[in-house]
Amino acid sequence: MASTIPILIIGGILAFIILRGIINHEFNEKLFAEKKQFLYEWHTYDNIRETLYLNVGDKIEVKAVDRDPKIKSMLSDTTMYDSFEKKELPYRVLKFSDNLNEQYYIITITKSMLPTKDLITGVGQIILILIAGLVLSLGLVSRAISKKIWNPFNNTLFSLKNYQISTPVKINFAQTTIDEFKELNQVLSNMINKSRKDYVNLKEFTENASHEIQTPLAIIKSKAELLLQSGELDQENMEDVGKIYEAANRLSRLKQGLALLTQMDNNQFDEVEPIEMAEFIYKNFENYEELIAMKEISLTKTINGHPTLILNNTLTYVLITNLINNAIKHNLKQGFINLILNNDELILENSGTPLEGNPENYFQRFKKGAISDSSGLGLALVKKICDIYDMRISYSVNNQTHRIAIQF
Amino acid sequence: MNILIVEDEQILAESIIKYLSQEGYHCEWASSFREASEKVHLYTYDCILVDINLPDGSGIKVIERLKSIKSKSGIIIISARNSVEDKIDGLNIGADDYLTKPFALSELNARVKSLIRRRNFDGSDEIVFKEITILPQERLVSIHGEPIRLTKKEYDLLLYFVSNPNRVITKESIAEHLWGDHMDMADSFDFIYAHLKNLRKKMIEKNGGDYIQTIYGVGYKFTRF
Repeated sequence: MASTIPILIIGGILAFIILRGIINHEFNEKLFAEKKQFLYEWHTYDNIRETLYLNVGDKIEVKAVDRDPKIKSMLSDTTMYDSFEKKELPYRVLKFSDNLNEQYYIITITKSMLPTKDLITGVGQIILILIAGLVLSLGLVSRAISKKIWNPFNNTLFSLKNYQISTPVKINFAQTTIDEFKELNQVLSNMINKSRKDYVNLKEFTENASHEIQTPLAIIKSKAELLLQSGELDQENMEDVGKIYEAANRLSRLKQGLALLTQMDNNQFDEVEPIEMAEFIYKNFENYEELIAMKEISLTKTINGHPTLILNNTLTYVLITNLINNAIKHNLKQGFINLILNNDELILENSGTPLEGNPENYFQRFKKGAISDSSGLGLALVKKICDIYDMRISYSVNNQTHRIAIQF
Repeated sequence: MNILIVEDEQILAESIIKYLSQEGYHCEWASSFREASEKVHLYTYDCILVDINLPDGSGIKVIERLKSIKSKSGIIIISARNSVEDKIDGLNIGADDYLTKPFALSELNARVKSLIRRRNFDGSDEIVFKEITILPQERLVSIHGEPIRLTKKEYDLLLYFVSNPNRVITKESIAEHLWGDHMDMADSFDFIYAHLKNLRKKMIEKNGGDYIQTIYGVGYKFTRF
């Protein structure tokens, strides 16, 4: 449809130009024919020399001159005032010279262009109306056909948009008689059902794995704890068992972190709600007040805006607590933490030991700094949550100031 | 005091029974939904520990069964899952408390004691450990009859110790007891040490004994001499 319009327009313009050219040409032909006729009659019939206006509407002027002006034929356009129409009308003038009985004459034939002009205008208007009509009807018919044909496609699109793999509602495509779309729907259905199956399997697998790992872990922990109570271990043995217990604990926290990451991948945190960020962050900082006081860290909060973001509650909690944790854990005694909240970003700065390597690497799983009792997942969790909500996060270290900035 | 443990993992159940028996509880074990249903029908228990994941049914059903026979037992759910929905479901249908595996036995013990105290409240609900008296309802502590002012964490710490007397309590379990989800928090062990120091100081100020013993590399022990 879109390609036919320029073709129609160019074609229309070309047709107009050609027609105009033809009409003009015909007019000029007539003018020249008149010249021929005039010369013939002028040379042949004596009494014509006295009659100056031969054709009604055409003006023929004969002027005697002394020398040979040598004008073969000269065409020019002019306008003259018409007393009847009471306005200036267009005329074309054919001027030529001739010799009769050893006297030179300049003859001009002036012919009205009005009918011709009217013809050209009329032709132009007809072409315009034709083109416009064609374009319009083409457009309407095209739209109507398009709608009818693409209806099942739009239905399919709608079904797809509303489908969520994390809910057990099966996808339903509207019936259609068009073969191509029938096939499309079939293929999509199969693909989606398979994806859903895979998703459910993966979800179950991670839940089962999680569950399965918990039990041996629980056994290790409980038996280690019982060993500690036995009273028959010497100091060294006690420490060994203590380390077993500690390792089991770390494993447990690690498993939890990984399970969280997997759950995020599976879109198991789809539910969102509006969260007022300033309030949320304040509340979470309260939990760390004692720790901050103990490390004599000075905390400054600068709130320049009150953004409310639509996020999942649990994920926001994980995000904020891991950020705060990170700021405290790697901080120095009597260090500082600066929290800056703008309408479009959250910045957390803290003093800390200089980092090895590129700070951005710390968003990878298990990348740890000097203090390695952490699981190494904290920042990975933070990054993943930022990715889910399309928030840009950056980590930079300047001297001994660590700075994490998240743009909403 | 009777405790029923509904848990399909034998080794785990053994550990729990061993620890709680040492506390003086009489413990019984059911390893399936069917066994559990039979037992609750025949006997009454002061406290029932229910694992959500049983091979032949859900622990939730055990709780529903208990509620339907108007049982007065305290119910603690133990589960491998950490999901919020399970927790809410369980508490909604009438469980009193929720613990996620893997938990420390000392933590379990503290919860059981707390639950039984709440359920068997019959006027006098105090805990006495030598010269220390604790009134859990009011969160009041007194030494030799003299009230002593403790911060929330210090109180929680003291109560945890007193609930597990003569037990080696790991620093990890203390951290989890005090901060729960935030256990992962930075420097929690330094933190515990700081709180313990303050607690000790306050107790000694009131002429209380110093019962907190450090077990190097492991944790602490609250012992009678």
